[in-house]
Amino acid sequence: MSKKKPSHSSGAPNRRESDSGAASRREQLRAQQAKAAREKKIRTWVTAGIVAVVAIALVGAAAWGIVRATRQQAPVAEGAATADYALTVGEADAPVTVDIYQDYMCPYCGQFERANRDDLEALVADGTAKVNFHLMNFLDSTSQGSRYSTRAANALVTVAKAEPEHVMALNAALYDNQPSEGTRGLTDDQIADLARQAGVSETVVATFADQTNAGFVNESNNAAGAAGVDSTPTIKINGQDFAGQQIYATGALRSAVEDAAGK
Amino acid sequence: MSDLPDRIHRFRQSDGWIFGYMLFSSLVSLTASFVLSVDAIELAKNPNANLSCNINTVISCGTVGTTWQANLLGFPNAFLGLIAEPVVITIAVASLAKVKFPRGFMFAAQVVYTIGLVFAYWLFYQSMFYIHALCPWCLLVTLSTTLVFSSLTHVNIRDGNLFLPPRVQEALASALRMGLDALVVVLWLALLVAAILVTYGAAIFA
Repeated sequence: MSKKKPSHSSGAPNRRESDSGAASRREQLRAQQAKAAREKKIRTWVTAGIVAVVAIALVGAAAWGIVRATRQQAPVAEGAATADYALTVGEADAPVTVDIYQDYMCPYCGQFERANRDDLEALVADGTAKVNFHLMNFLDSTSQGSRYSTRAANALVTVAKAEPEHVMALNAALYDNQPSEGTRGLTDDQIADLARQAGVSETVVATFADQTNAGFVNESNNAAGAAGVDSTPTIKINGQDFAGQQIYATGALRSAVEDAAGK
Repeated sequence: MSDLPDRIHRFRQSDGWIFGYMLFSSLVSLTASFVLSVDAIELAKNPNANLSCNINTVISCGTVGTTWQANLLGFPNAFLGLIAEPVVITIAVASLAKVKFPRGFMFAAQVVYTIGLVFAYWLFYQSMFYIHALCPWCLLVTLSTTLVFSSLTHVNIRDGNLFLPPRVQEALASALRMGLDALVVVLWLALLVAAILVTYGAAIFA
């Protein structure tokens, strides 16, 4: 609502105040009507724009949902990776199954692994036990946005699918070089180097950066949560919780497994 | 003449819609702030419950609740929501009851709420790119703060409460008549969702 001067909105020519008041008022009214008409026209386009944005968002969401639903139906079993998001190492018919729920950022997981590494390798080697690694990534929130848990676990899943024989070695290497919580963790290059040292082939190492199995890691994390695992490390021997300070004492796990095997 | 888009447009300029929408958004924001405040107190009581590896409390387990960003002023940020949102609720309810606030009052509300909005987006930015964790209640605060801000700004432009130069005021009022405010909000929210999906999409949906 312009008051003193006749409207001089953009587009309309700038006029001086006329001597004739009536003509000026008519002029003003016309200019206002023209402006209102212009605004209404633009409003039509703006409305169309809003409808389009909302429609695109809905279509996008629907497409995403469909892609997700179809992708989830795809079986994931490959190499040592099973359809229920475990990485299995050892003889399929071993009498004892050890489930290990772990996150590569979790310091106690490292402590557990270093205490029991040799025993687990021996138990797997002599066919007493098979080990199911369940990788979790809920500690992604403690690596300053670098998602270290996911990146490290992705490397292990990739190796488990392509070259399962190197799973134990890479797992051990990741714990030997475990970063502190709250840091950005190892870089992709450092993870790749550890994998090379663990014997993983260059072709497989080269695919780490694609994060192809990050989704597997998420699902693995969710599946563990759904199974009631609420902290790491969680260890199960033939489905029974093996918990407490004993899990960090070298030898305790081994004797529990041997008991379970009836040795 | 009075077709549906026009009627919707007029409705969107009405007090009932603007303050109703402000009331709803500020109630949502207050609820989210309340939940976050209760969480913050829980965290303060029990900062390191059984170390870092508890999946059910990703926030306390991770660093979100205990970051310096979450307590920028020395107390949980959510307390600010508990302080500010009731004021907005009062404005909205009073205005729905036809109370007319003085220009200066509405201008002050706009200034303070703008500071709040900037703070909300700073936190959003921090949690997206530095803390890197999705916190549903924090996102709800971001969303509802945006909506409250848009309704407050809308009414203040409509009523000329912002002490703007006449040309700027007229341009903004014209933008309102063109419905550009709705387009800006819709595009802005779409951008936010897109940013979240680009950053976290793989983690959420893969």
